[in-house]
Amino acid sequence: MTGSGASERVHGSDAPAPRSAAAQVAAASVAARRRSQPNGWWGMALFLCSEVTLFGTLIGTYFYLDFDAHAWPPAGVKAPSVVLPLVGTACLLTTSLPMALAARAARHGRRANVIALVSGAMIVQGLYLALQILLFRHDLRDFRPQATAYGSIYFTLLAAHHAHVLLGILLELAVLWQVATKGLTNYWLIGVRATALYWHVVNVLAVFVVLTQLSPTL
Amino acid sequence: MAINVTPQGQQHVERLERVWTERPGLVGWLTTTNHKRIGILYFFASLAFFGAGGVEALLIRTQLIGPNGHVLSPAAYDEVFTMHGITMIFLFVIPMTTGAFGNYLLPLMIGARDMAFPRLNALSFWVFLGSGLFLYVALLQGHAPNSGWFDYVPLASKEFDPGNNIDFYGYGLIFNGIASTMTVINFIVTIFKLRAPGMSLNRMPLFCFAFLAVAFALLFALPSLSIACLFLELDRQLGFHFYDVAQGGDPLLWQNLFWIFGHPEVYIIILPAFGIATSIIPAFSHRRMVFFPLVALAEILVAFLGFGVWVHHMFTVGFSSLTYVYFAAASLIITIPSAIQIFAWIATILTGTPVFRTPMLFIVGFIVYFIIGGLSGITVAAIPFDQQVHDSYYIVAHFHFVIFGAAVFPILGGMYFWFPKVTGRMYDERVGKISFWLTFIGTFVTFFPMHIVGILGMPRRNYTYPPGLGWSLLNFIESIGAYLLAVGLVLIVANLVVSRFRGAPAGRNPMEGDTLEWSTTSPPPPYNYAVIPTVTSPYPMWEPQDREADDARLDRGEGVLPEGHQTPATTVQDAQLDEILAMPPHSAWPPLLALMITGVFAMLLMHHYWIAVGFGAVCGMTLLAWHRHGVEA
Repeated sequence: MTGSGASERVHGSDAPAPRSAAAQVAAASVAARRRSQPNGWWGMALFLCSEVTLFGTLIGTYFYLDFDAHAWPPAGVKAPSVVLPLVGTACLLTTSLPMALAARAARHGRRANVIALVSGAMIVQGLYLALQILLFRHDLRDFRPQATAYGSIYFTLLAAHHAHVLLGILLELAVLWQVATKGLTNYWLIGVRATALYWHVVNVLAVFVVLTQLSPTL
Repeated sequence: MAINVTPQGQQHVERLERVWTERPGLVGWLTTTNHKRIGILYFFASLAFFGAGGVEALLIRTQLIGPNGHVLSPAAYDEVFTMHGITMIFLFVIPMTTGAFGNYLLPLMIGARDMAFPRLNALSFWVFLGSGLFLYVALLQGHAPNSGWFDYVPLASKEFDPGNNIDFYGYGLIFNGIASTMTVINFIVTIFKLRAPGMSLNRMPLFCFAFLAVAFALLFALPSLSIACLFLELDRQLGFHFYDVAQGGDPLLWQNLFWIFGHPEVYIIILPAFGIATSIIPAFSHRRMVFFPLVALAEILVAFLGFGVWVHHMFTVGFSSLTYVYFAAASLIITIPSAIQIFAWIATILTGTPVFRTPMLFIVGFIVYFIIGGLSGITVAAIPFDQQVHDSYYIVAHFHFVIFGAAVFPILGGMYFWFPKVTGRMYDERVGKISFWLTFIGTFVTFFPMHIVGILGMPRRNYTYPPGLGWSLLNFIESIGAYLLAVGLVLIVANLVVSRFRGAPAGRNPMEGDTLEWSTTSPPPPYNYAVIPTVTSPYPMWEPQDREADDARLDRGEGVLPEGHQTPATTVQDAQLDEILAMPPHSAWPPLLALMITGVFAMLLMHHYWIAVGFGAVCGMTLLAWHRHGVEA
């Protein structure tokens, strides 16, 4: 069962480096025959388990401090305004669609589609991050993380979320660069799928983060 | 792997030898991605930290040998007992079990040629080493963490501990957590995806189930600790108020977050010991484990239930009695999966034909101490009793029986058990048995009297005590026990060191073990197996027809994968062959990246935040360079 049939699919590290086009066809055919998720996908999925737990802890802390407090938010701090964060989150959520399509295009070896879809998603995500940073700076003018425990958890939760959005964009930049210069090799095909998975999870987390953030108003 | 190699088979073996040659010398060790070499690096690093933690323990016992001891100043005593705890938990037991035993043995046991992510594996080691040295730099500077391994606020807040002692703790544990998270992700993917074709989940050795349970427990427990430390540093460095009552924070938040990590951690420490026990007991009892599926489920259940009991560390903080009753009941439920395993081990020994060689003796010692520690655990799960003995030496006695007696004894037994596999030589059996009895008696003499001094009211963590309280004699006995224990441990190391050079050749399977690692040469070649092994049962070494089939397949060159660094990937449940993976042979990026990450934490500690950001950017570029040279160009 590990005989000649299997060795046809091999791209060994000591074999001559496959040229982009050939590697791309071979990678797509490996992807088509694969019966379980590749290791890189599993690695990302487990990393995301850790990140989801991390956000669970942050959100848990938010409500732990909330239930302890007499007034939440404390006196002198306005309850958060709702419209812009919700609209931003809705826009961010739509990027899961192009990312899912990009992962699908990668499995079929359609490099141009991958680049277009990931770039499109990245622009929306970048705008979302810019909006969030503006809102963050605006909030900082109203109240400080050093003033109360409310400020501490509010800004820490949001900063953790923004850091994850930024990391996702950096991942996309790396994937785009490699896929553009080297083609959809098996390694980067899995990279596209892992990045798509990352964004699905970050998008779902964004919903929980924004609902937590806005909970005093909602 | 083939026992009788024919000329055709020999050709395949030679081809593999060429493809899998390791780089020689220091560069070879620095850039290695081979799971066995990384396991050995982990072994020596964590053994060195064990030595440091042991010296700290001896300092503590020397200080307490009589009343009004003055070997250590009160401040130095605080640092020493704190570092003892941190070292033994984070720098010895976890890296020794997951890092050394797991790395070396898991791929061998599942018939793979390496871990799923070999370079990530190397990175985990170098990051772990960086975090360990980071914490020990604190001790050398005289600024070691000094508020206990669980570091309760407000004692650990800036107000009461203004130096950078606690910052070494906060950053050091986040740093250490990165290494552990990478390790466990690697373990889970390796166990899920790299099992030899035919090793469906129900045929996987119990050792691997235990490590799978540990890996999942660590994956979900560590974020809570990292967040707790992040809050601590934000409070200390930037003046946030997570733990500050005056501004709406809550010190109990630290305790909750810490123990949400800390209690699963207890099972993270002990589950590898269960795994090692389930490897040693069948080998020396000459029979299969009793209740194989039940034991596998119990291992996973222990890890799962461990997440629901953390408040039993906090029975004196003043929560409602309903909360306490719930957590006391949840804690008692843990006895069920624990008892399933204990009875399964005892039944396997009693119904087999046991031979009590050194590794088996350590396992018997483990069972005895696990029962003693488990019984005292039931007493402290009783709320009124716990409220009496809380923060006394009774607790110290309980967790040392569980952690030293039950978690470390199998590690010591496992060191003897797999020593012939790793070195190709036998240890000295007579010295081995003497070292067992010294360690066994030393452990009892050190820790058992602590139950009594605890009930007599001696509080933990005090640097000394006055005479005339009835504690002096018992403390004296404990200290003598500690020296005895140290002699036993030194004798184990001496036995292994001497045997490494003078031991008799071991052959492939001197322990009559049942798992795959015993089918290859001792020490195993870099590619582990010349043919990817045939697996039809959870006891592959006790299926001679499968091993003969391997010989025949080597002759035919089937399943040899000689084209490069390759290993098969299989489906998650049924382990059907899915694809052949190209594995990266060696890489200089992991040690480099670990160095950059160390730079980030060092700069954070020194308040050079912008330089830390710079190091972070360099980390990103290093990662990019690492991935540019993907495994397939």
